[in-house]
Amino acid sequence: MAIINQATKELQVKIVYYGPAMGGKTTNLVQVHDHVQTSAGNKGKLVSLATSSDRTLFFDFLPIEAMSIKGFKTKFQLYTVPGQVIYNTTRQLVLRGVDGIVFVADSQYEKMAENVESFQNLEENLRSLKMNLADIPYVLQYNKRDLANAAPVEYMEFLLNNRDIQVPSFTSTAHKCEGVFESLNMITRMLLNKFISQNTPQYA
Amino acid sequence: MATLPQLIEEDIQHFSGILQELLKHTEATTALVIDKGGFLITHQGNGEEFDLTTIAALASGAYMANQTIANLVHETNFNSVYQQGEKFSMYATCVGDECLLVVIFQATLSVGVVKYFAEPTAQKLAEQLKIAHEREPGEGLDLSILNMADTSGVFKKKRQKRSA
Repeated sequence: MAIINQATKELQVKIVYYGPAMGGKTTNLVQVHDHVQTSAGNKGKLVSLATSSDRTLFFDFLPIEAMSIKGFKTKFQLYTVPGQVIYNTTRQLVLRGVDGIVFVADSQYEKMAENVESFQNLEENLRSLKMNLADIPYVLQYNKRDLANAAPVEYMEFLLNNRDIQVPSFTSTAHKCEGVFESLNMITRMLLNKFISQNTPQYA
Repeated sequence: MATLPQLIEEDIQHFSGILQELLKHTEATTALVIDKGGFLITHQGNGEEFDLTTIAALASGAYMANQTIANLVHETNFNSVYQQGEKFSMYATCVGDECLLVVIFQATLSVGVVKYFAEPTAQKLAEQLKIAHEREPGEGLDLSILNMADTSGVFKKKRQKRSA
């Protein structure tokens, strides 16, 4: 859960990028790392625990300190999970203490089953941590829109965003950094809104 | 899942005192209190030499991964991990249900000493956490001072440099 440090006026939140394998989660973090505009020293290193073939093995981690909001130093910790089905235990570990989720779906037609499976897996893993997706801010990102076989957004909305409460969704082409910051800023906004309305985050 | 209690400045000061005492006894380089989700709560000792934010994230991941392995081999009594290095070593041990104590120390120091003093330190930290749990939730920081109108652009993209 998010931590507010009263002594130093710091707010720390954990955002996890979740989704099927090869969907673009790590690419999102790489693009944020490469393009984010921060003051010197406010962007940490992108740590990637990956296999030799660049598949995420444990997680990618990017700490960023965003600009101060009314005197608060806001520290965001961005994580990705490994998308491959066999690494489910690892995904559960990374989800621990999550505050917000960006679900990165692959827009290619043939990946729809994997998208749905991954979303169901997210719900199951949250339940195993005694958390409920309905209580956690999340956004959907439909990635790889530049590919010829991308499914229509309406179809993806029907598959992944067909609930009582619809969440914000974004189209993206992560490797060109399109839609990456839009998703990140929206989840940030939703998170801060949640804290304000509840006013019961963790205090450190 | 266990969650952190509301911690106030007094708790952090208490943590700092406990960590300082540990550093004095062990001559370790840095001691951190982190939560199992990967957040750094507070630290004492040398904080300049190491990237503590990343260490906190990785140490919690390493601890949790090892705990899962221990469970898979039916080991129920798991509460610490030790990484032996040539220059610096790291020892992480459980503090209550939600936190970890991480000690970074020169490899020339004996891990036995670190383990010996880390155990009571972890207990003291856990006691302070218990106090925080039992404390009436006081008035927290007023989060309404966060102006939501400003947050649409918390993260801004760098402007592209024009190619010549």
